[in-house]
Parts: sequence; C-alpha cells; structure tokens
Amino acid sequence: MSPGTLARLAVAGNRTDLARMVLTALSAALATLVVLAALTVLAIEKPPGPEGTQSEQYTNALLREPGLRGGTAFALLLLTIPVLALAGQCARLGAPARDRRLAALRLAGATPGQVTRLAALETGLASLLGALAGLAGYLVGRTLLHRPDGDGRLALPTDVLPAVPALAVVVLALPAIAALATAVMLRGVTTTPLGVVRRAGRTGAPRPWPALLVGLGVLAAALFEPVRESLGPALDAWLALVVLVVAISAVLGVVLGTGTISYLVGRLLHRYASSPARLLAARRLTDDPWAGSRTFAALLAALVFGAGAAAFRAWFQLRDQLEREQNQVAGFADFQPDSFYLRTMDLVDLAVALAVTVAAAGLIVMVVEGISTRRRAYAALVATGVPRTTIGTSILWQVLAPVVPAVLSALGAGYVIGRMLMGDIASGGRTEEVCRASAELCQDPVARQNYVEFVQVDQVVSAPGVPLGQLALLGGGAVVAVLATVGVGLLFLRSNTAVEELRAT
Amino acid sequence: MSTPHVLLGLLASGTKHGYELKRAHDQRLPQARPLAFGQVYATLGRLLRDGLVTPAGQDRLAGPDRMAYALTEQGRATLDQWLGTVEPPIPYVNSTLFAKVVVALLVADTDRARGYLIAQRRAHTERLRELTALKTAPSATVADIVGADYAITHLDADLRWLQTTLERVADWHREVHS
Amino acid sequence: MTQLHARGLVKSYGPTPALRGLTLDIAEGEIVAVTGPSGCGKSTLLHCLAGILRPDAGEVTWRGHRIDTWSEAARSRLRRTEFGVLFQFGHLVAELTGAENVALPLLLAGTGRRAARTAALNWLDRLGVAELADVRPGEMSGGQQQRCAIARALVTEPRVLFADEPTGALDTVTGEQLLTHLVRLAGEQRTAVVLVTHEPRIAAYADREIVMRDGVIDHTGLGLDAPLAGGLR
Repeated sequence: MSPGTLARLAVAGNRTDLARMVLTALSAALATLVVLAALTVLAIEKPPGPEGTQSEQYTNALLREPGLRGGTAFALLLLTIPVLALAGQCARLGAPARDRRLAALRLAGATPGQVTRLAALETGLASLLGALAGLAGYLVGRTLLHRPDGDGRLALPTDVLPAVPALAVVVLALPAIAALATAVMLRGVTTTPLGVVRRAGRTGAPRPWPALLVGLGVLAAALFEPVRESLGPALDAWLALVVLVVAISAVLGVVLGTGTISYLVGRLLHRYASSPARLLAARRLTDDPWAGSRTFAALLAALVFGAGAAAFRAWFQLRDQLEREQNQVAGFADFQPDSFYLRTMDLVDLAVALAVTVAAAGLIVMVVEGISTRRRAYAALVATGVPRTTIGTSILWQVLAPVVPAVLSALGAGYVIGRMLMGDIASGGRTEEVCRASAELCQDPVARQNYVEFVQVDQVVSAPGVPLGQLALLGGGAVVAVLATVGVGLLFLRSNTAVEELRAT
Repeated sequence: MSTPHVLLGLLASGTKHGYELKRAHDQRLPQARPLAFGQVYATLGRLLRDGLVTPAGQDRLAGPDRMAYALTEQGRATLDQWLGTVEPPIPYVNSTLFAKVVVALLVADTDRARGYLIAQRRAHTERLRELTALKTAPSATVADIVGADYAITHLDADLRWLQTTLERVADWHREVHS
Repeated sequence: MTQLHARGLVKSYGPTPALRGLTLDIAEGEIVAVTGPSGCGKSTLLHCLAGILRPDAGEVTWRGHRIDTWSEAARSRLRRTEFGVLFQFGHLVAELTGAENVALPLLLAGTGRRAARTAALNWLDRLGVAELADVRPGEMSGGQQQRCAIARALVTEPRVLFADEPTGALDTVTGEQLLTHLVRLAGEQRTAVVLVTHEPRIAAYADREIVMRDGVIDHTGLGLDAPLAGGLR
C-alpha cells in the first residue's frame, strides 16, 4: 500500500471513528501538557551556592526547594496515569465498528500487517496532532501565565523551558507509544477476515486472587516502618521503590478485583432480580465482569491514591496538633507549626480531584460506547414497548451496583496502606518544658524563665483517627461523578434507540 | 411430462395392472394432472409394441383392463437411459402467460396489460395460498409437501416475474410501440 | 370487525416520502400480508400502525381510540400489552438466555419471576425449541433466534402481531417452518398479524394481501374484498 492510500484508509470512518480520533488527540494533548509540566519543574536550575540553596524567584516551596522538585515532578508524572487510562478507554470507543471495518479490509485482501499498520497509523496520527496541540498550548500558556507579582516572584516556573530535544522527544514519543499500544491491542483482531472472536478466550467466573494483591500491598506497607527502623536511612532510595510497588500492586488488585466484585454482585442481583432492569444489569455484569475493571480503572486508581493521601493528611494533622499542644504547655501559645506538608497535601488532593474528573470523562466514553454497541437490541426492545426508562435503569444498575463496593474497596485499600506507611506518632518519653503561668507571662522571654520547669513526660503513642469525612467526600464524590456521567451517557439513549436503527442490516 | 417413462418407473418395482398404474401415478405425483384410464392403456399399448413391457400373469387373454404388465430388459435399459439424461433447462419460453402479456401490450394499452397482470397475479397468489394450506395441514404427507413445494416454487417464480413485469409495463409498452 | 384502522397516513423522511396517504383496516384475527418492492413504504406503514413512528398526517385508531396522538409512554404501554413486534433479526438481548428473553415482556408487565419463566418455557415448547431455554442468542442459529423472538412477541398474547420481514434472513425451509408456527399460534389465540414481506410464498400464508407502491396501496392481491382487474386505477 502506498503511504497515500494508507493515510486515506486510516482516516476513513464514521462519526464514532471521528469522535475516537478527537478524544485520542485530546488525551494526547493532556498527557503532553502534564509531561511538559513535569519536565519544566525538572528544568529549574539550582542557583549557585551550598546544597539546599533555594530558587527564590518562586512563591511556591514545591518549586523553590531543590529537594522537593523531584517529588513534584514525580507527582505530575503520576497524573499521567489517569490520562493514559482515559486514552485507553477512548481507544475502545467505536471499536466494534472499527474492528468490522478492519475485518472488511482483510476480506478485501489486506494483510494482517497492513491492517495493523492502518489502525496504528490512525491512533498515531491523532496522537501526534494532539501532542502538537498540547505543545502549542504549553507554549502559549507559559507566556500568558508569566505574571511576576510585586516582588518579581512567579507562581509557576514560566521562566524556564525544557531543552528543545526533550520537547521533541515528548511530542514524538507519545504518538509512537500510542501507535505501538494500538498495534499490540489489535493482535487478536486482525488475524481473521471474518471479524473478531474476542470472547473466545473468556473463561468462567473470575477468581478472587486480586484480593491477594491488595493483601500483599497492605502487608508490605505494614512492614515498611519496622524495616526502615531496623535498616536505617541507608536504603531510603530502595524504600521509595517499595512504596511505588506497593501502590501499584494495590491499585492493580483493586482494579482486577472489580471484575470479581462485578461478577458476585451480578450473581446476587440475578438471584433477587424481580424487575427487567435489574435482570438485564445482572446478566450483563456476569457476562462480562471485566467491563467494570476496564471502565473504572482510572477512577479506582485515583481513589486509591486519594485515600492514601487522606491517611497522610490525617497523620500530618495529628502531628501538627501534638506539636501545638506541646507548645501550648510550653507556653508558646501563638506558635504556628509549619503547615507546608498540609499545603502539599492540598496539591495532592487537587491532583486526585483532577484525576477523578478525567476518569469520569473516560466513563462517559464507556457508557456511550456500551449503549451504541447495543443499539440494535435496545431499539428492538423499545419497539416492542420496553420503556427507555427501563433500559436507562438497567444501565444505572449495571454501573452503580459494582461501583459502590469497588469504590469502598479502593478507599479501604488506599487508606490502610497510607496508614500503615506512616505508622503511629510517638510523643513524650523525655523531659519537656512546662510553663506554669498565665499566657502573657509565658509569652515574655524574660519573665517566662521564672516559671518554666522541666518535667519528665511519659511516652504516648497516638494513632491518627480515620478521616471519615474526607474518605466519605472522596467516595461520595466518585459515586456522584459516576452518576453524572451515566446521566450524560443516557442522553444518547434516545438517538440510539430510534427505530431507524432497525432498518440497516 | 413423459408419461411412458413414468409408467416404466412405476413398473420397475413389480408387475402391475393398468388401474394399479393409474392409482400409483396419481398418488406419487399429487400435483400433476391426474392420468386418464384411456391414456394409461394407449401408452401401455405403445410400450408393448416397442417391447419395453411384456404381459405377465395368467389372465393375459382377459382383455386390456385385466392384464398385468412387467418391465422387460429393454424397458429397464430405456428407463435407465431416461433417468441418466439431464433435462435441458428451458430451451424456449413456452408459456401462455408470457404470450398473453405480449399480445395484450401489442393490441391494447398499458392499463389493460396491467389489469391482466394484476388479475393473473391474484389468481397465482390464490393458488399459492391453497397449496400452502395443503402443505401446512397437519395431515400432509412428505409426498404432498414435496409435490406442493414443486408447484409453489414455480408459482413463486411466476409471481416474481409478474411483479417485476408490472413495474416494467410502461417502459415495455413504449418499446413495443416505438 | 375492524380493530386497527389507519386513514390517510403520510410520512416522510426529510424530502423522501415513504407514505403518501394510505388507508387500511385490520380486522380481529386476520393475517394481512403487506408486499411491494424495496422502498415502497412497507416498513414505515408497519411502524406507524404499531405506534413506533408517528405519521406526519392521517390517523391510526385502535378499537376506536386514536393512538397516533398518544404520548410515547402510552404507545409503549400499548405495544407492550396489545401489540407484539417481530423483526428480520430477532434482536434478542445478547446477555439474556432464551427463556429470559421470552420472559422479559411479562416481567415488564409485573408478572412474578417464577410465573414468567414458566410461561416462557411453555412458549418455547410450543415453538418446538424448549431446549433453548438456557442458551444465549449468540449460540443459536438464525432460525432458533427467530423462534425465540416469536415466543417473546406472542407471550403477552397480543391482539396484533407486527412482523417485519421475519423470514428475511432465513433459508426457504426454515422460513416456512417459522411461518407455519407463527400462523398456527396466532390463529389459536385470534391474534391478527401484519406481515411485511417481499416474498410471494411468505405472503401466501396470509388471508389477505396488499401490494404497495410508492407509499400507497397499488392493488390488493388476495382476499374477498379484492376488486376486479378492470376496476383498478
């Protein structure tokens, strides 16, 4: 095939194909923006001076302190996970139709290689356009946001630019990875000209082994503190890696476990289903339990991180509180502990909220996709008098029934791991200053000398409380986001169940 | 239809009297035109003359209607040859139906031709319906079904032709009268 | 007695007219075949009669009630209870088993699960496919799917069954077997059938035939009320 033919066939498709390309481009643009932001943080040069010299031109400590910039960049890169999950979900949009189109090309005589190249090119081209748009957005954005405040300090590192080769690598590597991923995903599709037999390999009920992964994550997290104490600071770098592995295995466990949850919920629902809507939902859940895993992957990943972050925040809050109490006893009433970590946690929460939003966008794609692949059957049901609300309710059940337990398990796993990693806070166990006078006298540096005593305080181990409020907010927010997306998806139900859908053969 | 060959075929399973042959014919070929006794005996006479069948049994002198017939070697060979020969697939369109529509277009206008086609179509459909009822009756035998299928398929073909011709009447009339 | 009555039906898709003032009566228990070339408006007529589509002009009355002005919900309820619908492809719900597909309309009507399943099994048996009760549509042949679809359409004992090319995707023998079942079962409960088809041999299962052309009735085929040839046009 000549490159021209290849390109023309790659972009030939219907509206859904166009929507997929637009969404692919959009997620590529988002990913590019995030990666470029991370690179920019890394591009900040350490000013000359001793180790730890801060880049004073920034208002934010995350950018100012060289020790924190690595973590900031890492957090930004973590944000690409939900974005990439979104891209993966977009790739499934209209996939049955595309698979049929590719199978038709195979029937017309195209080789498996040509078809794979075609599909990869489609994704690659869309991603390249998206990446270029992302780059443009980045370049425009950094000029627009370059607003020094009164002291000439910047909120964002708009004064540095990553090296041009690095920019080029990002813009080219993202589409290449996307194209490669498409080619890998299509391995099973292009081998036969008679369409896809995707379900052939599907076995019965999912096994509950993903729970083991979560357990492994929790166990590793529980061992984290004792191991660190016994090993000392020498192996800190390795321990960071362990944290990453723990987090990934927990996320994987929760996401895969959703398949099991979907299946069990489906079975339960089927046993007690009395309405057609619940029957439909139950059958769909047991039929393809992994659909839940695919649909909610990004959302659940975000929730695991969010719950972990909530545990961290609770720990920092407790530490602040203990410090404040201690200072009060010592007579430094107006002493404010450094809230730097809490502010950082705010940023993490913001990132989690962003990730949930992106994941919810992916969910819309999945819901609409699910409706449009079943539109014939739905249209026939509507024609035979099944109310659209029944179909809508079944979709709602199908999404909500597994998502509630899945969200709970994600929150549980994330929180427990976060809690384990941080451990308890021991205070006391040594002599401490106590100021026995009124606050005014204690405040006075000279006067307080007369009232201060040194007292042996028993060691108290305090455990941070469960931040139920924040966890509920996270879980509730996620479920509300899911509800909203299903609502948006259901708007497409009407057009997809029009009687015209029955005419085409 | 080749009546001599059908009779030879019916005799292949054993000796039969003339009236037995007629009954077997009507039973095996339910949708065919029933055979008249006269035709049976006339055909048997020709077969006898050509040496394809031979009188059999004791009462050979009791007259033609009491005579039983058997297949000769030559008769079996003729039957084999007939069965082995492929029928030419309609060498000529030889249908009154077709001729009538052509003539109707020549001597009358499109409405007349259409009227004829519609009336004919209705008659065909009515017959098709009778056959369908016959065939779907719970008492129908396989012979009934196969026979009805043969007729139904031909009527179906005629009906499709009538329908497409109805669509083409105007064009056809223009061509005939240009 | 006329049950379903359509008068002066007009329906267009954009600039393309599908029905151009068509009038038709369906009596109780009668089987009416609607034939005609592709694009003559057969399916559109069926959809208008069944209350799936609203005609642009004209009216459809069911037992004296004008249904084309009803809300979508009211027409849905009518289709669920008094009407049955059957399409070229069974359009069964892929995730549900044969029995569950058949039981679906009953469940919608509020029948208990056990009773609905019993009725579904009974109907599958009447169509000679009792063995499909726990089989998914994906594992059925086209003819088996259509039999399940007929069972689903008849399980509520509708008064009118609308069948749009029900044998279109089947071979001759399978299609005829299907029609035999359909006609027998509809007859047993006096369900009228509107049968859209382009095959003369399928139309022959009907009591009456109307032949459509360009959105109107061109002529009638079968039936006592068929006018003579000279009286047409």
